[in-house]
Amino acid sequence: MSAAANGEPLLQAKDASIEFGGLKALQRFNLEIRQGDLQGLIGPNGAGKTTAFNVLTGVYEPTSGDVFVCGQRVNGKKPHRINRLGLARTFQNIRLFRALTALDNVRVACLSESRPVFSAERLAALRREGGAWAWMANGLDAWNNYYDWWRALLLAPGFLREEEELTRRAEQLLEVMGLSHRRDEEARNLPYGEQRRLEIARALGTRPRVLLLDEPAAGMNTREKADLMVLIRRLREQFSLGILVIEHDMKLVMGICEQITVLDHGETIAVGTPEKVRADRKVIEAYLGDSYLETHPEAAQEAAR
Amino acid sequence: MVESAAPAATPALLPAWARGVTPVVIALGALAFAQWSSGGSPFFVYIASVVGVNCILAVSLNIVNGMTGQFSIGHAGFMAVGAYTAGKISLAFADTAVAGVPVVASDQLFLLISLLAGGTGAALFGFLVGLPSLRLRGDYLAIVTLGFGEIIRVIVQNTPALGAALGLSGIPQTSTLFMVWFWVFVTVLVARRIAHSSHGRSLWAIREDEVAAEAMGVDTTAYKVRSFVISSFFAGVAGGLFAHFIPIINPNSFGFVKSMEVVVMVVAGGLGSTTGAIVAAVALTLLPEGLRTAFNAFSSDPALAQKADQIRMPIYGLLLVVLMLARPQGLFGTREVWDVLPRWLPRRRKGVA
Repeated sequence: MSAAANGEPLLQAKDASIEFGGLKALQRFNLEIRQGDLQGLIGPNGAGKTTAFNVLTGVYEPTSGDVFVCGQRVNGKKPHRINRLGLARTFQNIRLFRALTALDNVRVACLSESRPVFSAERLAALRREGGAWAWMANGLDAWNNYYDWWRALLLAPGFLREEEELTRRAEQLLEVMGLSHRRDEEARNLPYGEQRRLEIARALGTRPRVLLLDEPAAGMNTREKADLMVLIRRLREQFSLGILVIEHDMKLVMGICEQITVLDHGETIAVGTPEKVRADRKVIEAYLGDSYLETHPEAAQEAAR
Repeated sequence: MVESAAPAATPALLPAWARGVTPVVIALGALAFAQWSSGGSPFFVYIASVVGVNCILAVSLNIVNGMTGQFSIGHAGFMAVGAYTAGKISLAFADTAVAGVPVVASDQLFLLISLLAGGTGAALFGFLVGLPSLRLRGDYLAIVTLGFGEIIRVIVQNTPALGAALGLSGIPQTSTLFMVWFWVFVTVLVARRIAHSSHGRSLWAIREDEVAAEAMGVDTTAYKVRSFVISSFFAGVAGGLFAHFIPIINPNSFGFVKSMEVVVMVVAGGLGSTTGAIVAAVALTLLPEGLRTAFNAFSSDPALAQKADQIRMPIYGLLLVVLMLARPQGLFGTREVWDVLPRWLPRRRKGVA
């Protein structure tokens, strides 16, 4: 049991539901991730796992229920805002910037490291005041941006320094993910496993506090999967993350996750430790069909325990 | 790694504060020299100006269509806004001059002011058109920009104050090679510096995968609008320049055909390649003239020359078809000239930008 009680939840879903014209893709989904957590999200194909990710990251707005990132309610916020609050993700079907080099893929994610005229904290404070102050914060933010463009166009010394820092940080991330040798290679030319790792490096570039990994092991061989397990654990320590993994590979999920949520048809059918989930009757039914339990009494017996 | 030195960390010839302005100073000097030494035939000046304007249009459209991956086909509309704004301002100040400086300097100053006004007007329109439409994805922007271009044309055509269909004449013809190519230089410099900044990388990211870019913290809508505004600004400046060396500007100069001409330049040069846009703009502007000359040389019979003049447009089209079949990604793809040309040129680091 690693640190479960590490303060406030960084990512929290409270009864989040989403419907697509009558289809209940996700129903009353609950989740809490704190720093140091390593949780899994599993379920048969079409169970709503990726939908859950999309709701958490703001691609979809939940039709009811709430999502909180670092204590802030993020319903209806745009994905880039939510990302800036500390939530980063990878994609099931790899979505790298294919024509960009590995380095540039990571550098895109590192983008807002600039030191603006009005600091992010001050703007956040203004936004909390609400009303006219929030409007003013938006105006100041626009000014920040304007200023930043001019610095880039005029090659201001501070801008060049920042670019260098940014490049260094991106290089470090590539190194962490073992991709230094691919620095100047276009993302589309990388082998599959390296593309997956590059996506993680890119996600880390945004300085997340919670990392969502959507089937990180898909298409990997046994050896790569084993490496990935080690890697995910290491990332959690090194970057003080909370991690949520969607994965079909049971060995991987059961091997690294401390808590697992099981979805089926958008409903949460089980939550708990790997041992508990593995023996859950509903889970076995969802994965193998109810007839399985009848024909395999030993599994039914275990499920009953 | 050995080669991990960032491009910015190459041995600095200049102190940091000077790196931003040095190219501008050098360019100003070179352009002044070119202006002074050319003098040249009016025809040469005219052609060089047209080429320059097309370069500005192509390079600026490339920021939206190439870097950001949005498909805008109404560039001539923004050009028109710039042309008429700048033209009207110059007309209003036609009889005014700054006291105490040579007439040429005074003319250029007023030209610069009207160009900036034209560019700003176009940028404003870019913002107004872009803000609602860039939230949409894919082809919708093409339709909106197409509509915008036509609306501008029709409005001008029916506004007596803008000369309606007859066009606006009497604009002081104060454009110089210096001014045109100074703006070409500025456009290219801005495009290149955007491409080499985090802003540029965000634009590339949007082109590659909008969903992923958004998930990585890129404010995609804002970035698209910004690239659109910058692009419109330079289109407006190009229009303003155009108005100052073409005796009469009329709405048909800024129709759909002009927009497509610019799109063709960008696509032919390679979406995302600034140098490609320049090469294509120069080539596709000179090609009709070159063909005319070639046909004229073929026969001195004026009737045949006229026939040749008719046939050169189909040839122009045919060349484009061949180019697209042979290199669908355009001349340089997303790369720049120095990434593509053989090794005798010092090779830059691989990749886009």
